[in-house]
Amino acid sequence: MRLYDASIRELRYYTPDQPAAWIVCPAEAIPAPGRYIAAWAAADTAAPLSTPLFAAQIAPDGFLAAPPIPLSWEPGAILELRGPLGQGFTLPATARRLALAALAETAARLLPVIPMALQSDIAVALFSDSPIPNIPSAVEIYPVQDLPEALAWADILMLDMPVDELERLRGRLRMKPEDRLPCSAQALILTAMPCSGIAECGACFVPGRRKWKQACQDGPVFDLNELTW
Amino acid sequence: MAKFDLSFATAYQNASGSLGFIPPVDHPDVARLGAFVTNPISLKPRSATRSPLVIRYPGGFLLHTGYPNPGLRMAMQRFAPHWSRMEIPVIVHLLCIRVSDLPEMINRLEKVSGIIAIELGLPPQIEPDMLLSLAQAVVGELPIIMRIPLDQVNGLIDKLALLAGEHGIAAFSLGPPRGVLPGGTNRLVHGRLYGPGIFPFAMAALHRLAALKVPVIGGGGVYSLEQAEVMLAAGALAVQFDAVLWRGSIPEK
Repeated sequence: MRLYDASIRELRYYTPDQPAAWIVCPAEAIPAPGRYIAAWAAADTAAPLSTPLFAAQIAPDGFLAAPPIPLSWEPGAILELRGPLGQGFTLPATARRLALAALAETAARLLPVIPMALQSDIAVALFSDSPIPNIPSAVEIYPVQDLPEALAWADILMLDMPVDELERLRGRLRMKPEDRLPCSAQALILTAMPCSGIAECGACFVPGRRKWKQACQDGPVFDLNELTW
Repeated sequence: MAKFDLSFATAYQNASGSLGFIPPVDHPDVARLGAFVTNPISLKPRSATRSPLVIRYPGGFLLHTGYPNPGLRMAMQRFAPHWSRMEIPVIVHLLCIRVSDLPEMINRLEKVSGIIAIELGLPPQIEPDMLLSLAQAVVGELPIIMRIPLDQVNGLIDKLALLAGEHGIAAFSLGPPRGVLPGGTNRLVHGRLYGPGIFPFAMAALHRLAALKVPVIGGGGVYSLEQAEVMLAAGALAVQFDAVLWRGSIPEK
């Protein structure tokens, strides 16, 4: 079990009620895109649960933790971190056209994939209805309603979505029940992960094609074809 | 081991559901434990509820999962070899769905080395009379611990004293109380309550049971080693930690 000390250097506000926190921590504690690290404020010994932090931006000395974060966190606060945990996004070597789609309240968790893709000369289109800061000009941005058109263009699709959206996904992609995705797809499934992999507590189960999967360990990023949707 | 023998090298345990079916090898608090308590195991496999939920509230959280587990046969196949090799003794937590299933389940577990006791998780809102039939059904060689949800202690307290005295239940552990919270549009969610806000209720239950000389394993909202020591000083045989173990290490205070 990897435990680290960290601190909050600053807060950044994507929207007035969505702070992101710049976390200063050892390089080993920085979660890769789609992975997460469990965090507590050290001063809050009675915090009932940890907060899973996902990177929105990565630097050598830390990362920008995507919203949501606890509103009680302030610059200078000391954090305890456990992780990084779970499975993240992977860019296939053959990928050339990447569609990113934010179906949750923020696109922030998808953002660290962008520099990885651009470095590999992969074209990137981002579908989001939420505010998006500091996006490289090479990235094309569209509203989520245009996402179905991306299926004909992309060779890989990466989604960020609440678990409840799985049952609505076919509709959002304008796919019939018998249709198959024309490209590979990975989905970061957002659900509560209270034990963050320690206890098989059963709170983060996601319906898989063959069996239930745990978002905290098997995910939170899944091959979409392994899930029931 | 005689049915009444129940002693631990150290007074700390994990609560069922807090560390899985075998403890994570690198968890810093496992070395503190005098016994490891497994996740709940039922006779038949149980999948997670279709809508597992965690709802936070000030002081704690409500957890609704359906107790997913692979069932006793698969659990023994997968985990019993680990239980036998572990350095700390194991308490297997059985989920009591039907009283008639218990004798067979306990009989199977008595053949596994490393297990020092069975902890029984009771059905929600158990009637006092059912407790007696439960106690009669679990006669065997292994000591039996009954886990009583904190919200049921007051209603069952007379029977608990009787079961400890005349029916040989080795101890009662204090489990999370059940609660109800709004979980979205026009929906109420029932589930187990965890978090530091539970601790005063756990202490009150412990005091009542200890005053009646009922053997109690404390638990419920214990979020520091200092709180655990308070429970031991109040008469608990041992103390179980639950969600604080997900933090990575138990704070001193």
